[in-house]
Amino acid sequence: MPTHLLGLNTWLDGLVRVLLVVLLMTVTAMLLIWAERKLLGRFQARIGPQRTGPFGLLQSVADALKLIGKEDLRPRNADAWTFELGPYLVFVPIFLGFVVQPFMAGFHIRMLDLGILYFVAVSSVSIVGWVMAGWGSDNRYAMLGGLRSAAQSISYELPFVLSLLSVALLAGSLNIDDIVVGQAGVPNIVWQPLAFMIFFIAALAELNRAPFDIPVGESEVVGGPFVEYSGIRWSMFFLGEYAGLFITGVFVSAMFLGGYAWPFGLQLGIGFQLLLTALKASLLIFLVIWIRGSMPRLRIDQLMGYSWKVLLPLALAQVVVNGFVLVYGLPRIVLTIVGLAGVVFLVWVTERAVRRPRVPRPAAVALGSEAAS
Amino acid sequence: MVTESAHEFETRDLLLNVGPQHPSTHGVFRMVMQVDGEVVRDVIPYVGYLHRGAEKLCETMDYRQGIGFMDRTEYLASMNAELSYVMAVEAIADLQVPDRAQWIRMILVELNRISSHLMFMGAFGVDAGIIGTPMIYGWREREAIIDLFEEITGDRMMFAYFRPGGLAWDVPTNFAARVQEVIAAVKQGIKDLDGLLTYNEVFLARTQGIGVISAADAIDFGMSGPSIRASGVHLDIRRDEPYLKYSEIDWNVITATEGDVFARYNCRLQEMWESVRMVEQCLDRLEPGLIMPEKMPRMLRTPPGEVYVRTEAPRGEYGIYLVSKGGNRPYRLKVRSACLSNLQALKQMSVGQYVADAILVLGSIDIVLGEVDR
Amino acid sequence: MRGLAKSMLTTLSVFMRPPVTRNYPNVHRPLPERDRAFPLLLWDKDIDEPFCTGCHACERACPVECMTVLMKDNPNHKSVGGTSSRRKIIDKFWIDYARCMRCNVCVEVCNFDAIAMNNTWSGHETAVHDRKDLVMDLPQLLALSRGGAIQEWVPVLGKANEA
Repeated sequence: MPTHLLGLNTWLDGLVRVLLVVLLMTVTAMLLIWAERKLLGRFQARIGPQRTGPFGLLQSVADALKLIGKEDLRPRNADAWTFELGPYLVFVPIFLGFVVQPFMAGFHIRMLDLGILYFVAVSSVSIVGWVMAGWGSDNRYAMLGGLRSAAQSISYELPFVLSLLSVALLAGSLNIDDIVVGQAGVPNIVWQPLAFMIFFIAALAELNRAPFDIPVGESEVVGGPFVEYSGIRWSMFFLGEYAGLFITGVFVSAMFLGGYAWPFGLQLGIGFQLLLTALKASLLIFLVIWIRGSMPRLRIDQLMGYSWKVLLPLALAQVVVNGFVLVYGLPRIVLTIVGLAGVVFLVWVTERAVRRPRVPRPAAVALGSEAAS
Repeated sequence: MVTESAHEFETRDLLLNVGPQHPSTHGVFRMVMQVDGEVVRDVIPYVGYLHRGAEKLCETMDYRQGIGFMDRTEYLASMNAELSYVMAVEAIADLQVPDRAQWIRMILVELNRISSHLMFMGAFGVDAGIIGTPMIYGWREREAIIDLFEEITGDRMMFAYFRPGGLAWDVPTNFAARVQEVIAAVKQGIKDLDGLLTYNEVFLARTQGIGVISAADAIDFGMSGPSIRASGVHLDIRRDEPYLKYSEIDWNVITATEGDVFARYNCRLQEMWESVRMVEQCLDRLEPGLIMPEKMPRMLRTPPGEVYVRTEAPRGEYGIYLVSKGGNRPYRLKVRSACLSNLQALKQMSVGQYVADAILVLGSIDIVLGEVDR
Repeated sequence: MRGLAKSMLTTLSVFMRPPVTRNYPNVHRPLPERDRAFPLLLWDKDIDEPFCTGCHACERACPVECMTVLMKDNPNHKSVGGTSSRRKIIDKFWIDYARCMRCNVCVEVCNFDAIAMNNTWSGHETAVHDRKDLVMDLPQLLALSRGGAIQEWVPVLGKANEA
């Protein structure tokens, strides 16, 4: 994007960009909500929304209108400031993370040289929002949910950041545009399969999505920190979640799948680049929704144990291996081999945590012939 | 209640009220859990929210009117509830049920067992955390079974189809073909559920090793059904005190040894396969004939006496204790509820587990509140 | 993780199959002949009067006591110059659909095959705004049969299929 849109001065230019972000993110979040409902429906042998508008496309609009019309409740004993500011602190940082996303060559809101650092720092501010929502609601279920969410997010920050670090080491820069352009020949997933898996799992946990959605476990704590919110405040949480899903899709495709540059993105112009970004982000979003439809949720201690005992050591090992390869000038294929070995190890460790189910043996023996006690 | 740990911190336990309106209490059931952080220290169940006085009402009903009330106790497995009741009346009045009625009763009872277990799969999957997917997979096949029941009896859930002496009316002429269709659909559904849940590592991590109850404790609590068979006790009323025609077909009793939540789930899954086999064998043995004894009186009067009859309902031992003082109504009708006895073990199984696991333990006992409260 | 892959392949295979949704209320699935919704009274087309004579058999048999029956002398009886052989005919009949538990006992005890369970969709779509509107009186109960819109199924108790 040109440095100053329409030749406006810096302040107005910034305002226009901010408005662009808000508009794009709101529309994208509503579209993603619709897509999730339709896709989850098909995974569950049913159709999603179908009556509001063609193919149910206006369902999110109808929901938004309904939510605007609801009464804005606050429990009497709830702490006013914490309760009311919580939702804002959940979704505003995600909107801010949109600023450094690379969509096409030269088209981004503002590409920062410290892009990755900015993204990680800004998206972790939403943890504070969850805790505020949980504490401010004056409700035991909400407090449980808020604390669980904070513990989970903090635990998964470390593998999240470390896998990004290994990618940044390879590219030699924290600027996201540089990383994407550097993948014009080969996407990073070829060199860093282990980091991709760890980052994907950690990103699922950061988004509070299945199988890591225990803070919003509907069948246990009935909504977690959201339980006292109604109307537009409640929808802000969901706006944040789906906007975050979109950003994660674009970000992961930029970091590991080559973004707009691979294959042949840089040669074929911005139309093709937009198509590539859209395709890769859609693929990842489909994968995330597919996972949501297929997996139960992990318990909080299992979730944290998985992060600290499995993902973190492997992420550290990945960074160390990257360091070795770069310092001693080893060929890059070493990274692929070690990465694939790491993936196999991760799969083995995950399977080892549970016992394989045994089919119960049918017994034709009558009660009297065996001691029952 | 104040617990002291390490001299500096004084923590207080949290009283968490689960229900009676809650997505995972499977009906109107209330538990008060005393929770220390995330660990459950005590569980106090409150039952009685669905008490409708079924037993007392049946004292004012004759034997045909009372069938509707028995349906509504165990509403997910109504055929089994009706079966116990009519078998008790037949035992007191000494009625001989014709063979054709026995085979048809067996087919319907086993199909109802499958549909009840499919309902369990749905609710249990939602408790474990997959919103919707196992529920729809289970209910899709349950819909096929219930459509069949509607074609035979006229109703989808409260059948009122069994009568003392046999069946109310005969099955439609395309019965065998329809049952074959339903069985084919059910097999696909059980395969889907099996593939979705049984091998899933997250599901295994959530359900293995929690809610364990030993065989001795289970017997002490008076548990029955798949809940006790999962702890290694070889107790199945269909084999130990055979009724209908269970001694004439080839089937297995499914037991497991671990006694945890996963074993209970797996036992129910394998029981569904066994029920499918049983239905196929019964279809082969079905022949034309009478469905009620000849010369049945219009209004059945039973001689004085008392009898206790029990059958293997999907949830355990569903027993009817019937006292008759002559006449066309029972003097006292008591329903021995499987779920209420199984529910007594809830505290033993949940104390020491996490809150999320306690919810799963409750789900794995598979209660239906109509039977707990009657 | 192979178990997770198996779960995901299962959901993918369901994704590929057509969904099982029925688009109610645009599409009503055909009800079986024996479907048992709420009771209604049958109309004798040959003589142009209800079959029901008001004998109170169903009222006595009902487990939840949801019926009120009143009979009167039949003004259409042969002895007063009419065409019917029914000496008494139904005068007023109320069924409280809110109490009825659809157990079929009233149909079984009726000596005249005058009452049957509704096996059409109108028997299932009975939502009203006020509970008093669920108490059906005689014209409402006779409406469907009088209009010829129902093919009722009245079972013979305990009768086996012909071989």
